[in-house]
Amino acid sequence: MTLVVLVEDLTTAGFVALGLAIAYRWYRERGRAQGKLTIALVALAVVALLGRLPQSLVLSLVEVVALMVSAYFVLLFRDEFLPLSRSAHWVARTLFAAGIVDGLLLVTVLQKASPPVLSAFGFAYVLAWALLIGEPVVRFWLASNRLPAVQKTRMRFLSFGFGMLIVLLFVDVLGGSALRSPTAIAITQLFALATVPLIYVSFAPPSLLRRIWRMGEENAVRAAMQDLLIFSATRKDIAERAVFWAVRLLGGTGGYILDPGGNVIAGERNDGSGPAVRAPLHMPGGEGTLAVIAGTFTPIFGTDEIAQLRAYATSVSAGLQRVSVTERMAAIEANKTQFLNLASHELRGPVTVIRGYVSMLEAGMLGQLNERGHKAAEVMSSKVSEMNELIEDMIEAARLEEGAVTLRAVDADLRDIARDAAAAVAPLVDAKHSFDLDLPERRIRVRVDPDRTRTIIANLLSNAIKYSPDGGDVTCVVRSRGGIARVTVTDQGLGIAREDLATLFTRFGRVITPQTEHLKGTGLGLFLARQLARLQGGDITVASVLGKGSTFTLQLPVASPDGSADTARKTPADAMSFTVRDSLSS
Amino acid sequence: MGIWFPDAAWTPEFGPLDRAVRRRGLLAGPGSGVHVLMIEDDPAIAEMYRVQFEHDGHRVTIATTGEVAVATLTDDAPDLVLLDLLLPDRSGFEVLASLNERLPNHPPVVILSNYGEPSMIDRGRSLGAIEYLVKSRVTPAEISRQIPTWVERGRGGGQPDS
Repeated sequence: MTLVVLVEDLTTAGFVALGLAIAYRWYRERGRAQGKLTIALVALAVVALLGRLPQSLVLSLVEVVALMVSAYFVLLFRDEFLPLSRSAHWVARTLFAAGIVDGLLLVTVLQKASPPVLSAFGFAYVLAWALLIGEPVVRFWLASNRLPAVQKTRMRFLSFGFGMLIVLLFVDVLGGSALRSPTAIAITQLFALATVPLIYVSFAPPSLLRRIWRMGEENAVRAAMQDLLIFSATRKDIAERAVFWAVRLLGGTGGYILDPGGNVIAGERNDGSGPAVRAPLHMPGGEGTLAVIAGTFTPIFGTDEIAQLRAYATSVSAGLQRVSVTERMAAIEANKTQFLNLASHELRGPVTVIRGYVSMLEAGMLGQLNERGHKAAEVMSSKVSEMNELIEDMIEAARLEEGAVTLRAVDADLRDIARDAAAAVAPLVDAKHSFDLDLPERRIRVRVDPDRTRTIIANLLSNAIKYSPDGGDVTCVVRSRGGIARVTVTDQGLGIAREDLATLFTRFGRVITPQTEHLKGTGLGLFLARQLARLQGGDITVASVLGKGSTFTLQLPVASPDGSADTARKTPADAMSFTVRDSLSS
Repeated sequence: MGIWFPDAAWTPEFGPLDRAVRRRGLLAGPGSGVHVLMIEDDPAIAEMYRVQFEHDGHRVTIATTGEVAVATLTDDAPDLVLLDLLLPDRSGFEVLASLNERLPNHPPVVILSNYGEPSMIDRGRSLGAIEYLVKSRVTPAEISRQIPTWVERGRGGGQPDS
């Protein structure tokens, strides 16, 4: 018997504590929805407390009204964020009024009625109560499915807690005398007691629980953050995703991102719908805000959520910074290419005139020149040719950057192309250099743009001569093995330091050392050579020892005998996958 | 004087003088006095070419706009047209297209441009230009040497495809 009393006391204490807890929370942070749930739970506490006091008519009257109020206000709480229709409101009010009248009759005029009548009225009362509270219980459970982890679990706890109360009340009313034994009472009371923590955590979950509930979602959030930092292409995109995941992470109902100027760049700003938790975002140009709005069921954010949001905001900031940097870089690159294109075409005009007149001067067409004049014309002619080549390189580089290079691939013998290239650089070979072109006896069939390929090889050869200012052997070996044709150009010149190899093939990436600074060049040659090689399904690799010389190898795929296999590629992306080896990484 | 009416829709016919000029073009060799119409808006470039071509015995008419060019083509038919693409009033392509439309038997056209994009070369060729050269890549002497060949080619089949 004492055990039963103890359990009953505990249950009562539990419900009273629950009522006090939510009343305190409501006092701290007032909101309409929270207020309704507070009324419902305080009413339940009142019912639990009155049940422990000696029977009296007044107390019984208060008890039946309070119980019905608790159910009605759970329904009104549901209405706050899952609005009821007009007719549903009418049904609910009618049910509420009928339940109260029924309850009042039960404890007054029907006190002396026959047991069946009493049971019928008792059952009707419990039914009205169960209907009022059961509808939100089911709705909460259904609605929880599409909510973020924390919200979802809270909803389910609330639903489950009230659901258990309904079952207990029905058991109590329908069980009758079978449940009058002390053990049965103790068991039902224990079940009732169990609903207290369930309901409590639904409106005030401790941070530990919130963290546990969130765990399932954490991986998804982490993956999303990774996306945010690495893949998101635009500012808008990154901001939208950030809002989506911040809302999910915290279990809010909405969110938004403000730029430093206070403009909404993602999400929707609707502060009226509930309190919001905000975290600063460091954006290019100042401090922005990432905000998550609490819904009717997430009125209170804990320090845990705030810390979480701040950590998340740091990642978002980094992502936004990255995007703005890449966007700016892309714009700069585009400008550079555009400038290169424009400048080079504009340069062609004056160069045409200079070159034309110089050639006419040289030919003596504008009057006979004396010897010094001839020499001057010769120098001008060679300089203007250099200028012309530079312009051609710039235009080709701009075309490559724009992806506008069109290759005219034909079946060709690589030996012929190498021969042409060697002939083109022959004037550069002076007394200090010896040049050897080593060609195989059999033809090497390649499907390439012959002009471009000749340019590549000529570039490698002229570099070999240029960067061996003290002379030495320059060899060009053409071979084919295993479906890959190779043109290997070796010199005994200055060589390239290991750390400089990486910049060798970049646009304008000249390696400047005291030995090379007096040598002319734009740093476009090797960039173009490699890009053009890659566009044709090949590549250029380099091996070099500082002070000993360098070996550059052009690789090109050998065309299949039937000539059908077109190995030339039109887009750099395709060419990249075709790259056989890159000695820079070794 | 040619009996070609600018607004006529029918196929124009060349007058006796035009035919004579054209016949002279057929016989053109080095220094044989080919009449070259140069459509070029940059006076420095035009003047330079003129010096070279006249040195080589050709006659040169310079038109700085598409409008002037069309007028010259009707009044004093040349044997060869050297066409720049960037003109103040319209593009060289437009000049060539209107030439094809209004004067189907026009003299051969060689495009001389600062642009060497493959797409532009293709367009020039599809409009019937018998040659497309990037100015900075060739010297005036190289162009001048080719003039008789171009006139010859224009006679053979340089007219635009219909």
